[in-house]
Amino acid sequence: LQLTDIEKRMREGEKGKPVRTAMEILIALGEIYGAEKLIPVRSAHVAGLSLKSHGIAGMEWAEDMAKEGARVCISTTLNVIGVDRSQDLHLPEAWVRDQLRIGRAYERMGCIGTSSCVPYYCGFIPRYQEHIAWAESSAVVFSNSVLGARDNREGGPSALASGLTGRTPLYGLHLDENRKGDVLFKVSVPLRNLADYGALGSYAGRMIGTRVPVFDGLQQPSTEDLVYLRAALASSGSVALFHAVGVTPEAPTVEGAFGGKKYEVLEITAKELDERKQKLTSAKDRKVDYVAIGCPHCSLKQLKELTTLLRGRRVNKETTLWVHTNVAINYLAKQLGYVQVIEDAGGVVTQDLCTILGNPEALGFETLATDSPKMAFYAPGSNGFHVWYGSVEQCIEAAVHGTWNA
Amino acid sequence: MRRITMAIILKGRSISKGCAEGEALVSREPIGFNFGIHVIDGAITEYNHELFGKSIKGKILLFPHGKGSTGGSYVVYQLAKNKTAPRAIIAVGAIMGGIPVIDRLEKDPFDLISDGDHVRVDAGQGLVVIDK
Repeated sequence: LQLTDIEKRMREGEKGKPVRTAMEILIALGEIYGAEKLIPVRSAHVAGLSLKSHGIAGMEWAEDMAKEGARVCISTTLNVIGVDRSQDLHLPEAWVRDQLRIGRAYERMGCIGTSSCVPYYCGFIPRYQEHIAWAESSAVVFSNSVLGARDNREGGPSALASGLTGRTPLYGLHLDENRKGDVLFKVSVPLRNLADYGALGSYAGRMIGTRVPVFDGLQQPSTEDLVYLRAALASSGSVALFHAVGVTPEAPTVEGAFGGKKYEVLEITAKELDERKQKLTSAKDRKVDYVAIGCPHCSLKQLKELTTLLRGRRVNKETTLWVHTNVAINYLAKQLGYVQVIEDAGGVVTQDLCTILGNPEALGFETLATDSPKMAFYAPGSNGFHVWYGSVEQCIEAAVHGTWNA
Repeated sequence: MRRITMAIILKGRSISKGCAEGEALVSREPIGFNFGIHVIDGAITEYNHELFGKSIKGKILLFPHGKGSTGGSYVVYQLAKNKTAPRAIIAVGAIMGGIPVIDRLEKDPFDLISDGDHVRVDAGQGLVVIDK
């Protein structure tokens, strides 16, 4: 790995201990993956900020970094945390305190406290072919695939290392030759809603390992459809990039997506989607005491759709409905009266946190209904919940009736 | 005393240096560390995972590659601090701080290593020794 003079000085500690640590992380990664050099990146996004992931050990590590003078030198946004900074959700006091300490340590390093897994809904939109160092598996896949930016699947610490140095090793998806497809998924079944896109992503993610999937047959998906597709791909598998023919910028045609490479073809029918939906469901008890929507964080359009489903209705008194979004969308949704409609129906719009990274299990819930394939996949392990997976309409029905009736 | 009748020696690539030995735990499925492992006891908590309920604590862990959440590095750090981490990791593509890690073995380790095998890892030398 060839370093420039300034990079060598960074490694030797001329810019302080945190920059030296950051360079050591980037050099180690570069050497493992056979990078020839480091390249500049325009932005970073740091994930893994929940107290569940950091623990006290990680919290102290982050605070030490901040104390030792770590300061980011490029736009560095922060992922979801485990608390809502705008309201008291009655989470345990120690949890809230330590979680806020983690967020503050990173903000002290100059990171921007977006606290969201969808930084692009807050205006952080990398351009086509821009090199970035983002963590948050779902944001990685969105930036690479839908926006055509260039990002490896960074972990929290390596994204921070890029934020502190403005650099990343040149390997993997920063190089043209690694961005071509490996497997063609021919989708012959119409995808009706986010739950269908989620089931497709979850199925393909599990099948594909670390390879690049190409989807053919998607019928004019919306941005939200693609957000759910890639969040499911990234949680059930190790996907960092997908192409959709005629939809994403590097796949104008099937041939273009594969760049002359040989590829495997797999058919997707209603059978595969149904199987996957059943796999994402882990609940048996039809009584639902917790419904959570918004993983990844809801767009304004999703919140508007929820107002249509909830207007004039009432969430069951034994069921809690949380709708997750970020501070920017929440602010706009309050201005537009959407939050009021959801609250009038007995739901709660949350910002900054989500079910997986937060701690709703501390409130005693047992059975979750969600339209999110990512949440359905992680909640049994992260929260200990039994999960019903279905469309947002099914989830709202469950919230109103307190039971899963689909 | 363990009776070793045969030892298979494999060369691989050192990712994170260090030596360890112990009982093998094999996962043919990828492992997602964030939300997929309980940091207090090292148990796999991912629903439907082939190792669901088993603990990686103190094992020589063999798995093909990581998956899922990008917060996994912090979880591995926590496991190490809590002393619930595997003693060593054999992977086909992974980097994990502070624990000996080796990958790109000259032969497919999934053909040669089974649950419970006694395995020695010398990541500094890039060597895996399987005692059968």
